[in-house]
Formats: sequence, structure tokens, C-alpha cells
Amino acid sequence: MDQISNPTPPRWPSLFLRWYCHPDYLEDIEGDLIERFETTTRVKGVKAAKWNYTKDVARLFRPGIIRPLSGSYQLNQYGMFKNYFKVGIRNILRHKAFSIINITGLAIGIACCLLILLYINDELSYDRYNKNFDRIYRVLHVYRNAESPGTLPPPSPEEFQVWGSAPVGPALKADFPEIESYFRFTSPVELLFEHGSKRFQEDNMVFADSTAFDIFSWNLISGNAKTALKEPNSIVLTLSTAMKYFGYDEPLGKTITIDQTETFVVTGIMEDVPSNSHFTFDGLISMTTFQIWRPEIFDAWGYVDFYTYFLLKENTHIESLESRIPDFIEHNGPEWYKADNTIALEPLSDAYLHSKAARQPGTTGSYTNIYIFSFIAAFILFIACINFMNLSTARSMERAKEIGVRKTVGAQRHSLIGQFLLESILLTILAATLAIALIALVLPFTRELSGKALLFSDLLSWQFTLLFAVSILLIGLLSGSYPAWILVKFKSSQVLKGNYKTSSGGTSLRKVLVVFQFTLSMSLIVGTAVIYTQLNHLRTQDLGFSDDQMLVIDFGWDGAVQRQAESIKAELKAHPKVSKVSASRAVPGAFFPNAGTTIESADGEMIMHNPGIYEIDQDFIPTYEIEMAAGRAFSKDFPSDTTQALIINEAAARLYGYTKMDDVIGKKFTQWGREGTIVGVVKDFNYKSLHTKVEPLSIRYAPSNSLRHLSLKVSADEMNTTISDIEQQWAHLVPQRPFIYSFLDDSFNKQYEADVRFGKIFTAFSGLAILIACLGLFGLTTYAAALKTKEIGIRKILGASLFSIVTLLSKDYIKLFIIAVLIGIPISWFVMNRWLDGFAYKMQMGPGVFFVAAFICIFIALSTISWQSIQSALRNPVDSLKDE
Amino acid sequence: MSKHHLGEFEEIVMLTVAILADEAYGVAIINEMESRLGRQVSIGALQTVLRRLEKKGYLSSQFGEATNVRGGKRKRYFSLTTYGKNVLTEVKEQRLSLWEAIPNFSLNK
Repeated sequence: MDQISNPTPPRWPSLFLRWYCHPDYLEDIEGDLIERFETTTRVKGVKAAKWNYTKDVARLFRPGIIRPLSGSYQLNQYGMFKNYFKVGIRNILRHKAFSIINITGLAIGIACCLLILLYINDELSYDRYNKNFDRIYRVLHVYRNAESPGTLPPPSPEEFQVWGSAPVGPALKADFPEIESYFRFTSPVELLFEHGSKRFQEDNMVFADSTAFDIFSWNLISGNAKTALKEPNSIVLTLSTAMKYFGYDEPLGKTITIDQTETFVVTGIMEDVPSNSHFTFDGLISMTTFQIWRPEIFDAWGYVDFYTYFLLKENTHIESLESRIPDFIEHNGPEWYKADNTIALEPLSDAYLHSKAARQPGTTGSYTNIYIFSFIAAFILFIACINFMNLSTARSMERAKEIGVRKTVGAQRHSLIGQFLLESILLTILAATLAIALIALVLPFTRELSGKALLFSDLLSWQFTLLFAVSILLIGLLSGSYPAWILVKFKSSQVLKGNYKTSSGGTSLRKVLVVFQFTLSMSLIVGTAVIYTQLNHLRTQDLGFSDDQMLVIDFGWDGAVQRQAESIKAELKAHPKVSKVSASRAVPGAFFPNAGTTIESADGEMIMHNPGIYEIDQDFIPTYEIEMAAGRAFSKDFPSDTTQALIINEAAARLYGYTKMDDVIGKKFTQWGREGTIVGVVKDFNYKSLHTKVEPLSIRYAPSNSLRHLSLKVSADEMNTTISDIEQQWAHLVPQRPFIYSFLDDSFNKQYEADVRFGKIFTAFSGLAILIACLGLFGLTTYAAALKTKEIGIRKILGASLFSIVTLLSKDYIKLFIIAVLIGIPISWFVMNRWLDGFAYKMQMGPGVFFVAAFICIFIALSTISWQSIQSALRNPVDSLKDE
Repeated sequence: MSKHHLGEFEEIVMLTVAILADEAYGVAIINEMESRLGRQVSIGALQTVLRRLEKKGYLSSQFGEATNVRGGKRKRYFSLTTYGKNVLTEVKEQRLSLWEAIPNFSLNK
């Protein structure tokens, strides 16, 4: 028969058969199959034959035919595993100190990792509770002042702001059929709420469209989601706010008096906004209310007070909307089109971590921090693993005899490796158990540190459990692999002869690992030092105004106070401890608006920009001790100041093209319906956080209806009596308003809360990293000292001093520390410089920081070492030599 | 009962091996069973039983000569061992004794 023209059986089934079939049976079974295949080919054709062949192979896959486990597979491993397990446990128990160091170090590492993982998990979970998460977008706005459309370059992501105008939402819905519905809410308003005897100042209430519950998956406990926010003067409260006023009574349908004039009906109670939302509020007031209060702003494209979100219909793409935005602007907002304003659409998934836009409705997270913390977590775990490897290799010689014996009785290489890996996995599991106990213990305290409530129950999800189990195995394998490899290399003949003590397996690697650990520790110490110095630098930086003993009273635009501002000021100033009083709309560190301002530039043209605006009275500049660079401050002597004068800061003067501040005086301006001349230039003062440079600011005389804060300069002594005096006076003067006060330096420094928290977390973790590194070092020196017990004994007999013995034991390590410090300096310098770039006002990172860090690092390390070295140096040589 | 238990399929396979005498290899057994009993048997089912019987000692096997057909693979010929023959006989006698013990069954009826 011609072999070539003959069809052959299908390839893959044959290979499969050869793989599984018992080798003794293979030949004749395959022969049978081929014979059948050939017969079928003749009768029914190749295709059917191939199909039958495949079927037959599949049917042959059964216990009687499959090859049995052969070789070592055949042996029952159970007995051996039991033995490994027992030996492992005995080893842990015999060397208690080592085991404790190993297990605690690893446990701390794992616990840190888990905590950071929980934190990151929470950061990444923001807004994901929304069922429509993928379909929710928000509108970003950019407000500019172009001469004619298209003359300005496209805006950068930082130029956009989330805060925008009211008509954009409805116009978008009308123009784009892809949009299912839109939802607007305002920035929080401060309102005085009253129900019966309960009276509180609420400062996180927002006006919201009735579509709130269509778009966001907030849980309405009672009330109708569709109609709750439809009618004017209806309000939906969060559960905790409702509890404050109504306790356990049914709140639905009850009324709340707001600002003593308006009556609101509670139309819904919702669960508190989940903590992982990128904005929160305590209650929603129907937008229709706001429409009645301020009808004109709902058509004003130039008035900015709204956040606009919208829900895209299913199976539509945001790209199709984005391309039509220019058209949309041109047709809907003619003023916008002229000024080259535009909008952009941002998915909800970007809102918390990725948005670069300004004027966010809530706090945003930081992707950089997530990266930094992940790195720290990985580092700490890595340091802990290094300890583990170091200690295990260092101790390996004690196990040499065991290995020798095992090898002589026939243990194979891989079974020895298996034994040591099993041991390290065992240790890791113990460490992991301890880690979980640690977390359960520590978790309640992390709230202060991380600013969020992390829940232990998050650890119980199956993804987490799976990840945890796999990681434990991996950590065990990873940290056990090197010691196992070293141990297995021992030659049994030498070991059993007793020569093994000379072998110093893995010394160089151990050194590298120690250097690595301490480089990290060094960098972390530098990091901590830099963060704290910088934060201190921010606090002590001259802000350009006086923030000491500045008591700020917030009366929330109370009409009565606004009207009597001057008399109230006079009454307060009458107190002997109060030296100066001023009223204004904003205070440094608090919110202020921006205003389109046209000023005659250095070239003589009228130019419009959008600087920030402070509305103040004539006492503000003296009270805050802000210095004038040119011109004069507002004064009662110039009655026209209240309507026709403007002060700008140096940054604004530069913005309008001036280099000499005196030149600005007397130039014309128009702003928010006022016209007049510039009367003064103030020196730049830091009215915002020191993350940013001082930005252009315009300062004008406040109309009485825009006042909100009173600033009182009080003397430092007997502060408590002063405050209670003022409080009494306030209750007498303004009985309708609670006395809400703060100290300016406190509230100003609140802007650095995130930085302070970052510093705290950083310190905590660097402390832990150093602790783990020291644990490892302690273990290593203990071991080194134990090895040299006899040498030390002999040296002592021959007259060596304590100092020389301590030096003998530590000199190797000192070299390593110096190397670590030298490597750590450039690394930390580079990294911390990047961090400092986030501040406009940064500290000088001089050599001092590094000196201190290096000193701390080496000091900690040396004290760890000397503890052990001194102990062994003090030991009586008789004890160490008598058993020879 | 005897200590030897033979399954129905095992019995048939052993009988077929006996019928085929020197020509009892996998495909031949299958063909024989198909033609005599009209019974479709897969190679997998047959081979499992053959190996089991061999392990029990009822059958023995040896390779034949390699040929050009079957991809050059040798055939494995099965034959009954003495022990296997005894077991078969025993099974047959058990059956017969059972048949004979049925009271109402007679040719005369």
C-alpha cells in the first residue's frame, strides 16, 4: 500500500492518546485504532473515519487505560509532609527569638499592605455605587475673555472648572437627544434651620433639580423619588440631619423654618450620601425654590453657581456629543461664543481621582498618593521578606546537619526544597494570621490617619480572600526560595564531617539586602523630615497679613447683621481686649468669587480679566495689617470709595501689564456694574493656600448685602474670657444668629489638612519600615554574635576591651550603613523634590535634612546592633569556652 | 456462590476470545461480537475490559509481528489462560444448574 497517498489519522487526538495512554498498551491500541481508521476510510470516507477516530480516542480516556502515576508520583507523600510539618513546628518553637522576629516582621509588613490595600480599594471605589456609573457625565466649563471667537489657544485641562452656569444643562438636553436627563445642584448654601426649639446653622445644603434620584443611586428611605424635589419649598434631608431635628418622629410632611422667613416641607428622607462620593451634602432643596428666589440667573450664561451632571442614554457614545460642542455653544450662548468660552464633558469615573478641573464640588483624591502608598506598601512587605530571607539563610548552618542526614538517607534535592518552602509558607501563614489580628486591632484608629472609615468587612469579599491566599503563598515561596536554595547546596559529606561552619553561604547577598533595607529606611526618614519641615515652613511663612489672634465670626449673610454692621462693629470694638474690627465678604483661606474686571492696561487699552474679588470695608486692610505697595487703602474720608474705587494686588497689576505699581493709581476700571479709578495697590498676600502663588485679586468696597464675616483682632491674654464676653454680647446684639467663630490661623491651616494627613501616614509607615529593618538587623547581629561566641571568649581572655569587641561585631555593618546612606541621599533628594513641586512656596532642602536623617538612621541601626554586641561582649568567657 | 464473579460483558469478551482462538486481537474481537451478537462495542470499552481480565489472570496476551498496515503497529493477541478457562467453565455450569433448577420449565410442556 502506498504510504503517502494514504490518509493519516488526525494529529491532535493521536498526540492526546499517546500522552495519556498507558505505555504498555499504547502500541496495540493505537494499531487497532489505525486499522479501524483505514477500514472506515475505505467504507465511509476520510471525514467519517477521522471523526470516528477522534470519538474512539475520547472513549478510551478512562481509568483502565490512562497511564498510572509513575516514579515519585506513585509514592504517598503524606508521611513526608507530616514529617516536614512536624520538623517545621519544632524549629519555630526551638528558636523562639528568631521565629518571633521573623513572624512579627512579616506580620507587620502584611498588615501594612492590607491596610494600604483597603485604603486604595476605598479610593478606587468612589462613586461606583451608582447603578448608572458608566453613563453619568458632568459638564466642565471654561470662562475666558477673548476679543473674538477662536483667538485663544484651546484651554488646558487646568483651565476648566466644574462650577458653571444654569442654562447649560437644559440647553444640552434640548440639543442632544442622547442625553436622558440632566441634574444641577448649587454650591452649598448656609441657612439657619429651625424646627420647634431646635435651631442649627446648616452649611451643607444644596439646591438640586428633581432628577437627582434618576441619575444618582442615592437611597430614598421615605418619600417619592419622582416628585420629592418638584415643588418649591420642599426639602429632602439626609437621615442624620433629619434625626437632628425630628429624632425618631416621622419627619415626612413636617415643616422647617429657614432663615426665619421661609417655611419648607420635608418631602423625603434619604440615607446619608455614601462616604465614597466625590461630593456630599446634608440635604437637597428643590431647585424650583431657587428659581423663585433668583429667577434671573436661570437664563444667565454668565452667572456661575451650578454643577451640571447628566445621564447618557444607553448605547450612545460621548464622542458623538463632544464633536458637536462648538456648534452647541455657537447656537445657544452668543456671549459665550464671543468670549470663546466652552464646555467639556467628563465621565463620573474621572471625577474623584483624575479630574484636573478647578472648583470641584467636593474633595478630590490624589492618584499620586495612591502610587506613593502602593510603593510604600510594596517596600515594607519587601523589607519584611528580606528579613525573612536574611534570617533564614543566616540560620541555615544550624540546619546543615539535618540536611546532611536527610541527604544521606536519600532525600532528593526537590524534596528538600519542598521541605523548606513548606516551612516558610507555614511561617507566612502564621504571620498572616497575626497580621489579620493586628488589623482588627488597629483599624478603628486608622480613621484619624486616613480620614476615612475603613471597614474590616471589606476584607471578607471573595476577591480579597483569594488575593490574600494567593499572596500568602507567593510571599512564602518568594521568601523561602533563596534560603531553600542555599540550604540544599550543602554537601552532606562535608556537613557530616563537621566542616560546615566555615561555609558562610550568602554573605554577600545578605549584605546587599541590608544595604537595600537601610537605603529605603534612610529615604523614608528623609521623606518624613522634609514633609514636616515643609509643613512647618508653610505655617510659619509670612503670609503678607496678620493671622494671629484673629477671631472670625461667620454670620452667613444675615440681613439684620448686614444692615447694622457698623453699629455692631462699634459695640464689639468697645471690648477692651478687641483692638480692631472689620466686616467683609471673604476672609483669607475661605471661599471668594471671581469677577470679570476691565482695567486700563499699561498700553492704555481697556482689558478684561477674571481676577478673584474681595469685598471689604474700610477697616479690613488695617485690621489684617496688609501693606500697601502704592496708593491708599479705602477710607471714610473719601465717600466715593464705596462706589467708584478699586484696589488691586501686585499680581493683578502685573496681569494688566504694569511693572511699576505707582503707575496703576488713577487708572479707570469697570467691574460688576461699578466704574471708577484704581486707588491703591496692596502688596501680595497669600489669601489662598501656599500650594499656589498669589493670584491676581481685586478688592472693592462691599455693598452691605454682601457682608458675611466679621474679623476681630483680639489680644492674646485671657482669651477664654474674651471669647465668652463676645459671645454674650453677640447673643444680645444678634439674638437670631448662633455665635459661630473660628480663629483665622486655625481655619487657614485647615487647607493643609490633606498634607498633614499625608505626613502622618508617611511617618507611620516609615516608622514601621524602620522597625522591621531593625528587627532584621537585630536578628542578624544576634546570629553573628552567636557564631563568634568562642572567638569573643578567647579575645576576652587575651585582654580585649569591651569597645574592641563591640567594634569587631559592628564594623562590617557600619560600612553597609554608610553605603546605604550614600545611596539613599540622591534617591530621597530626587523624590522629595518632586513632592515639593506641588507647593509654590517650598522649603530649601539643605544638607541639614540629610545629616539629620543619616544620623538618625545610623543611630537607630547602631543601637540595635550594640544591644546585642555589648551583651555578648559582657558575657563571661568561661561560659562560652567551657564546652570545648 | 463462587468467588469468581464475571460481569456479563466480561463473559462475552472471554467467550469471543475463545471463539477467535489464535486471531483474538482488538479489532477482530469487536468485529466478531458485532457479527455474532449485533452488538456495537467501542474500542475504549473493550480495551478496558481486556486489560482488567488480563490483570485478573483470565487472559494472557502477546504481541504479533509488525506489518505494513496499522501504521506499522503490532497486534496484541489475547488468549484464555487455564485459569480463565476454568472460570468460564465454572460460570457455564452455574448457569446450567440454575436453568435446570427451574421447576416449571420442561421441554414437555
